Amino acid sequence: MPDERLPAPDGPAPARPLEILAALGTGGLLTLMLLSNSTMAAHTTPLFSSLTAHAVGSIVAALALGALWLRRGASHALPRRNRVPVWAYLGGLSGALTVMLTSASANSALALTGTLAIGLAGQVVLALIFDLLGAMGLERRRPRRRDLMALLAIIAGALLIILARGSAA
Amino acid sequence: MSAMILLAFLGGALVTLSRQINGRLAVDTSALQSSFWNHLIGCAALAVVTILAGSFWPAGAATAPWLAWIGGALGVAFVASGSWLVPRLGAAMTGGLLVAGQMLSGVLLDLVRGQDAILWMQLAGIALILTGVVLSRR
Repeated sequence: MPDERLPAPDGPAPARPLEILAALGTGGLLTLMLLSNSTMAAHTTPLFSSLTAHAVGSIVAALALGALWLRRGASHALPRRNRVPVWAYLGGLSGALTVMLTSASANSALALTGTLAIGLAGQVVLALIFDLLGAMGLERRRPRRRDLMALLAIIAGALLIILARGSAA
Repeated sequence: MSAMILLAFLGGALVTLSRQINGRLAVDTSALQSSFWNHLIGCAALAVVTILAGSFWPAGAATAPWLAWIGGALGVAFVASGSWLVPRLGAAMTGGLLVAGQMLSGVLLDLVRGQDAILWMQLAGIALILTGVVLSRR
């Protein structure tokens, strides 16, 4: 049964400039976040680094929600559009697990370069499957040929950049 | 070795899984709430692992620079933005464009910090990624 909360999938909508810029900027944020978290991991352990990042994040997000509540009221700060399934709250579990897996493989013969490169593959393969299935109740979409070419170019470029660092080190 | 390859692959797949789940929560609530729950649940899970591991305050924690403490705050914006993007762009394009932004800024950071890397590969990588970004538009 089609999901009526989301637009009908008569061909996926192309990415718009605003969304592309937001995604690129968010990727830049990720670089800074990883710099910060790896600095903590270098001083302590990957586990402690991830724990503190999640704890600080919980506090910051709670403060942001609280500020939004004070300024614009509960309905703006805590909107609820549907009955939310319990599993939808558990995204953080797989985020926490990621740290364990990648810090194990980055310390193996794969090293950081291999972990990043193979992780990239895991990310993209599952994302394509999720899009095709419309996983977790999100819109089902078949990528356009152009989207696939875009992905291919980005992944090839990312692999070159990961290897550029790994080969020089 | 092949077990480690599987771990690394799963590590990447889990990034997509959590973004998809968080994206669904953002559709039902809001991107900021999704980010809040992501961090709170992740924190609880990691606290359990920390208790099992038995090391709450590693020696270096007290001397870590301030930079080491702000990752979580950046993470709030990162997860909120990812949760906002996934329902709009789909999982594949969201992941691809986030990686694009991460790589472009990563090369910039490497250059600023004088990190050893092979320059022609970095430049070719940037050219490919920019091509991909342009292609992602109609």
